[in-house]
Amino acid sequence: MVEIGVLALRLALIGGLYAILTAIWGAQARRPALVRSSRSAAYVVHALVATSALVLLRALIIRDFSLEYVASYSSSTLSLPYTIAALWGGQAGSLLFWALILTCMSTMVHLQNRERNAALMPYVTATLMTITVFFLALLVFVTGPFERLPVPASEGADLNPLLQNYWMMIHPPSLYLGYVGCSIPFAFAVAALATGRLGDVWIRTTRRWTLFAWFFLTVGNILGARWAYEELGWGGYWAWDPVENAAFMPWLSCTAFLHSVMIQEKKNMLKMWNMVLVLLTFCLTIFGTFLTRSGVVSSVHSFTQSGLGPFFVVFLLTIIVIVVGLVTWRRDLLRGENEIDSFLSREAAFLFNNLLLIGIAFATFWGTIFPVISEAVRGIKITVGPPFFNKVNAPLGLALLFMTGVGPVIAWRRASARNLRRSFIVPLALGFVTGVVIFAAGWRNYYAVVCFSLSSFVLATIFMEFYRGTRARQALMGEPAPRALANLIGKNRRRYGGYVIHVGIVMAFVGVAASSAFRLEEQKTIHKGDTVQVGAFTLTYKDIHFTDVAHYSSMLAEIEVKKNGASVATMFPEKRFYKKQQQPTTEVALRSTLIEDLYLVLGSYDDKSGLMTLIVFVNPLVNWLWIGGMVMVLGTVIVMSPTAAEQRALVAALAVEERGLEAALR
Amino acid sequence: MERNHRFIIGAAIIVVAVAYLVYTGIRETSVYYLTIDEFLARREAVAGEGLRVAGRVASKSMDWNPATLDLKFRLANFEENDGVDVAYNGVLPDMFAEGRDVIVEGTYVGGESFHARTLLTACPSKYEAEVAKN
Repeated sequence: MVEIGVLALRLALIGGLYAILTAIWGAQARRPALVRSSRSAAYVVHALVATSALVLLRALIIRDFSLEYVASYSSSTLSLPYTIAALWGGQAGSLLFWALILTCMSTMVHLQNRERNAALMPYVTATLMTITVFFLALLVFVTGPFERLPVPASEGADLNPLLQNYWMMIHPPSLYLGYVGCSIPFAFAVAALATGRLGDVWIRTTRRWTLFAWFFLTVGNILGARWAYEELGWGGYWAWDPVENAAFMPWLSCTAFLHSVMIQEKKNMLKMWNMVLVLLTFCLTIFGTFLTRSGVVSSVHSFTQSGLGPFFVVFLLTIIVIVVGLVTWRRDLLRGENEIDSFLSREAAFLFNNLLLIGIAFATFWGTIFPVISEAVRGIKITVGPPFFNKVNAPLGLALLFMTGVGPVIAWRRASARNLRRSFIVPLALGFVTGVVIFAAGWRNYYAVVCFSLSSFVLATIFMEFYRGTRARQALMGEPAPRALANLIGKNRRRYGGYVIHVGIVMAFVGVAASSAFRLEEQKTIHKGDTVQVGAFTLTYKDIHFTDVAHYSSMLAEIEVKKNGASVATMFPEKRFYKKQQQPTTEVALRSTLIEDLYLVLGSYDDKSGLMTLIVFVNPLVNWLWIGGMVMVLGTVIVMSPTAAEQRALVAALAVEERGLEAALR
Repeated sequence: MERNHRFIIGAAIIVVAVAYLVYTGIRETSVYYLTIDEFLARREAVAGEGLRVAGRVASKSMDWNPATLDLKFRLANFEENDGVDVAYNGVLPDMFAEGRDVIVEGTYVGGESFHARTLLTACPSKYEAEVAKN
């Protein structure tokens, strides 16, 4: 069986190379048969990669410990869901999983565009297959998932216990879908550059793919934060670790692109900028993969030297050289046809929003690679930690939050005094009042005050949009209010779905601001019967329990929780000891409400003295971060759901381009 | 043309603001990141500064008092023939053990003594695992 997996990978590599050559040759020599052949090859590559992944999955499930991969990342006591998750839990497996997603998306793109984009598609095929070939080459020549052990192991080393968490089941696939999804707009961008067809078509064709990638990047980031929150036991969810930054940066540039592309669609401006953002986003996904695999930047996750770093560097540099060359070659075609008229316009607001997003991405990038740079320049490694990222990104983030309120409602081209009054007086007043009230209530953390004040400003602008739109429909169509609201959203999904996403963003801002500014933390070493007081909570250490299952042994502290004197819960923070790895892990006890999270960690327990160390965090409003994430998901679903109008716009754009081409040929 | 100038100024303000924040941020929050060998070579020069030092917990050097949460251990180089004594107060990270590679964050106060504020353990990454040999 295993030989089939190895063979499939090798054949896929050959098939990928064949697809690249025939696609480019077919396009250059105008030979449709060759182009068709390259498309078929892409399908075959997909089937071969899928076969190979299935073979690995089978080996994991039947627990074939003669394979190094299976023996390293699973064990006979590992439950089935985590055994499946081990498919992407290790180096080689995750690369194979990556190739699988990429070829799967490539097949979808080819099926979608069988009858369309005949000029672009060969180059799309070639680009996607080039990326696939890179990953396949790593799998075939560098880190094979089907390596056999000299002597079959009798038992596996097991999946890292930190990864044995349900969020970890879905976080990596989600992030991979996001990362790999960025390849599709990238491939179309390269094809547009190669063919010189830099009009609307490639952007409209890939709009849904970009949203799709953005959606999974968002979900992946939030799930990762949630995983860190539940599993790592330090009371927070984001530590600005290089691995986290690696996933955050493409999200930022992708967000910037989704906004600025609207300006291109509406005003035919910022073509060059949009092109750069698409290319940058893809490069950041590869850079992120490089960061997590190379060990160049030391991370708490300590992804040790795997020898893959140089390959990624060469691949990334090659891509950069090619795309810089293409963009320089086509720079005249990337000139926009219009200019921005006024500071007080939607175009300007979007431009500033873009600069802020890229500014945050740049600061994050700089902080992440600073140790490498300082070592190269000054010969000494200087590192920056979370304080740097918070200090730099907090003001930029707040400015961005302000733009979230301004951008969608300010008028195009040049806002009139009337437009400004109508759109902003009430929200600004509300934001101001919020700020004054919470300041008077005694809040002295200025970031939090500004954040809450801006949040109410943004929410007010969005609410007014919904309210006015609904009222207008009620008046015009005579619809009752709920129906008018539903139709308003249904008929303008991009706009109102976007507002829903913005509401989610505001919630996330509120959750982050409150939980970072007003978090309580306490650490006490206590005997049975002792109590700890944290904020409104009184915690009593009642007892300690010991359990033992095949996979791990554990101890649980029984903590009685009272809030303002009333008993509210009994919680069981836990320390597990995984037998295979001889490794303790922390299982947090969490009591989560909309107001605050009570987060308990069993720090340590001493048998002799009976002393137990309890770490307590009270994180106010942190739940709104996760709720905000779900609202963003809902909003993206609304935005992505297809509408007839959008299909018509795409068909129209295709027709315009065909006509233009015919005219050029005549 | 004049319009464009205004925009270049507007964009420049954001760019300058980002650059300023990054610059001051790095100046105020950066710490030296040294391996234990680098640290041992220049320890007097970096005394009192914010430091991150990567090394190994020397075997049989760990002294942990679970009642007071006081931890003392020797952060050694890989040959374990030189090192510095580290004092820390707090809960042990899950992965902390003798022979493990750790990163300590804190200040070197002179002599043999390093005060650690934070202990980071380099957890065995998910991409690397030792296979059970039989």
